[in-house]
Amino acid sequence: MSNSSVTHVQMSSAGQTERTAVHLMPCEIEHNGPAQVSQYFTAAMKDRKHEKTVSFRGRGLRGQELSCPQGYTGLVLKEVNKPGSDQEDRTVRVSSVFDKLTYWNMETPPNSDDTIVMAMSWPELAEAIHGPVDD
Amino acid sequence: MATKKKHTPNTQNDSWVVIAADSAIDTQKHDSGPAFVKLRNPSTDSASLYMLGSDVQLYEVKAFKEDFHSWFIGQTVQRDGRLLYITPVDPLFLILPYLMKSGKEGKFQRLDQVVMDEEFPACSRLLSCTRSLASLHHIAEEKEVGGQKFHRYSQERTMDWLKKKVERTVTALKKSNVSVGEGVKSATYVRVKQDSDANEEDYLRYAHGLISEYISGDLSKALLGHLQLPELTSPKETEPPSKKRKLSDKPVEAGEDYTKFNSADFARKPPKKMTAAQKTLAKVDKTGMKTMASFFSPKVKTENK
Amino acid sequence: MDLGEFEADNSVSCRLVSEIPQICRTEDCCLGIDEAGRGPVLGPMVYGICYCPVSKKEELKDLKVADSKTLTEAERENLFQKLDEARSFVGWALQILSPNTISTSMLQRAKYNLNSLSHDAAIGLVQYALDSGVQLKEVFVDTVGPAEKYQEKLSQRFPGLEVTVRPKADSLFPIVSAASICAKVARDHAVKGWNFMEDLGDVDTDYGSGYPNDPKTKAWLLKYLDPVFGYPQFVRFSWSTAQTLLDGKAATVHWDDDEEDGEKAAARQNNKSMLSYFSRAAGGNDQSSTHQTHRFFTERRLHSLDAL
Repeated sequence: MSNSSVTHVQMSSAGQTERTAVHLMPCEIEHNGPAQVSQYFTAAMKDRKHEKTVSFRGRGLRGQELSCPQGYTGLVLKEVNKPGSDQEDRTVRVSSVFDKLTYWNMETPPNSDDTIVMAMSWPELAEAIHGPVDD
Repeated sequence: MATKKKHTPNTQNDSWVVIAADSAIDTQKHDSGPAFVKLRNPSTDSASLYMLGSDVQLYEVKAFKEDFHSWFIGQTVQRDGRLLYITPVDPLFLILPYLMKSGKEGKFQRLDQVVMDEEFPACSRLLSCTRSLASLHHIAEEKEVGGQKFHRYSQERTMDWLKKKVERTVTALKKSNVSVGEGVKSATYVRVKQDSDANEEDYLRYAHGLISEYISGDLSKALLGHLQLPELTSPKETEPPSKKRKLSDKPVEAGEDYTKFNSADFARKPPKKMTAAQKTLAKVDKTGMKTMASFFSPKVKTENK
Repeated sequence: MDLGEFEADNSVSCRLVSEIPQICRTEDCCLGIDEAGRGPVLGPMVYGICYCPVSKKEELKDLKVADSKTLTEAERENLFQKLDEARSFVGWALQILSPNTISTSMLQRAKYNLNSLSHDAAIGLVQYALDSGVQLKEVFVDTVGPAEKYQEKLSQRFPGLEVTVRPKADSLFPIVSAASICAKVARDHAVKGWNFMEDLGDVDTDYGSGYPNDPKTKAWLLKYLDPVFGYPQFVRFSWSTAQTLLDGKAATVHWDDDEEDGEKAAARQNNKSMLSYFSRAAGGNDQSSTHQTHRFFTERRLHSLDAL
């Protein structure tokens, strides 16, 4: 992407876009594409006292749900057609939306020191740093 | 059992998980869709990704990125485990470097002739951010001639503006559970929730550090002076490096060059009139040098010429 | 044998017990320990204990219990029936280690190997018998591993008991044979009636013995391999058979404690923290050096992006 290229976000479908369950996994899966998430993962998930457990590839995971910060929405953007040259403008569309995500730790119980929980505090602080200053 | 697994490059990445400010993506009230653009990052002076929201405001993009993550999104896997945050950014931070550059000539200029960048053509759109024009007086003096507005960078105004930013940030930090106390941080470091040790200076320095993510290194130092925070006088801050140094037999060298800011930017072209901020700055810098001299060998000063 | 409790949640370990015969609380007892399903790549591993008064050893012999491995499934069922009928003096308890427990234990960060897992299950069962008031005196254990070490471990753990650990104990001591029958019957039932937690529709239950070299098992493992998830929890992911199949046919998955990846990650992390540690001293004022990101962002793993 050259510095002059702009990536447009197609929002038109946002209203009707389906809500999707999103899971942040504690491993890198070398795959992009379809997966039987509901059959293998969601179906085997257990929810007890605010802590979720499941396993993936024989490893025990412990998870927690996180809400998007107030005034924020989760989006999944998907590139429509990759342009041939990096000079051209690009377009991504909103393929799904979410207002909460589930993140999974490997074995460790989810807690407020988890980096993703800490990262969720960024938008609130950003508003303070970048909000208009009084005269 | 654990076999060695090679990482193959992720070449087919065409999807991103994002958490975006509703205002940036609200197309109900606005016609134009949001767009990602590249602009000159005022802190690094190189390209960073921003978003022009559908509300014609500027947003920045930051990625939560840690090794060993992937997403399940509905019935799909996305290998790229990043989470992108789209949060508002004050467009003045990005206009500031252009204004400062043209301010060296000391003339009032038309803004559209100041905010120009061959490398980043999208920068002209900074001026269409509704907030930009309304808040320019925070960083520039304004003159209106024949219905046209002209601007000239003002260090004094900028310093006051940045100070207010720092104060706002301090207030927000105090309300948050962000740990602002100094200390060595690592992945395994367990933070203490009750940050009772944190004093006013810790908050101020932390907020200054955050604001410094959006301004040049020089401006960051000047702001430190304006906040009357001496450089490297906090014992907590100097302790780890100085302790480490004492352990080594090698001759000590200056960790930072305190003379450079003065010599490079002010001494070379001494301003006719020093602004209040610069006066404070000059004063602070000297004490800084004194502090440093007591810490390190005097050899440093000559070495850095 | 009612496995309802285990079937309700077959992802975790579960203990099933008989009623404790009154006579076992008053008379000196012997206890046998055996396991079933150690080798298979599918299904749970079951640890079983069986106990009876020392004075009733002959009566137990008369039940003609023998090593479960030499019996057919029907014969085992029949013998378990007999043991159940002898409930006035024979008691049993089982620890069912679900395949998911086995996988996650063996693959966890601090690896918990199968030997420790089985020893702990055995110790837990003996302790259960003691806690329940069974007057234990003699313990007979079948083992596949080195007998001496295991015997020492158990003797130390239970100083008041006379412990005998012996390979093939299940064919030497009827009380161990009885334990092996209980364990094997439970394992058979668990595998046959496996309640897949995953939403896989009608699963072909023709998985053979579950041993990796059984062609039926092999065929089943190939048929039910999912390129992302690998297998349902019924499969022991920690078995090399499963690992090898996944390495060849499923998407590669990297964990932060993978041998190679882990080392790299550790090196990278050390590097990073060393850098941030000294950054202030090492050129914070140098305009040419790269910009040092504030710790608010580094602690939160937040980075600027230069492209989408």
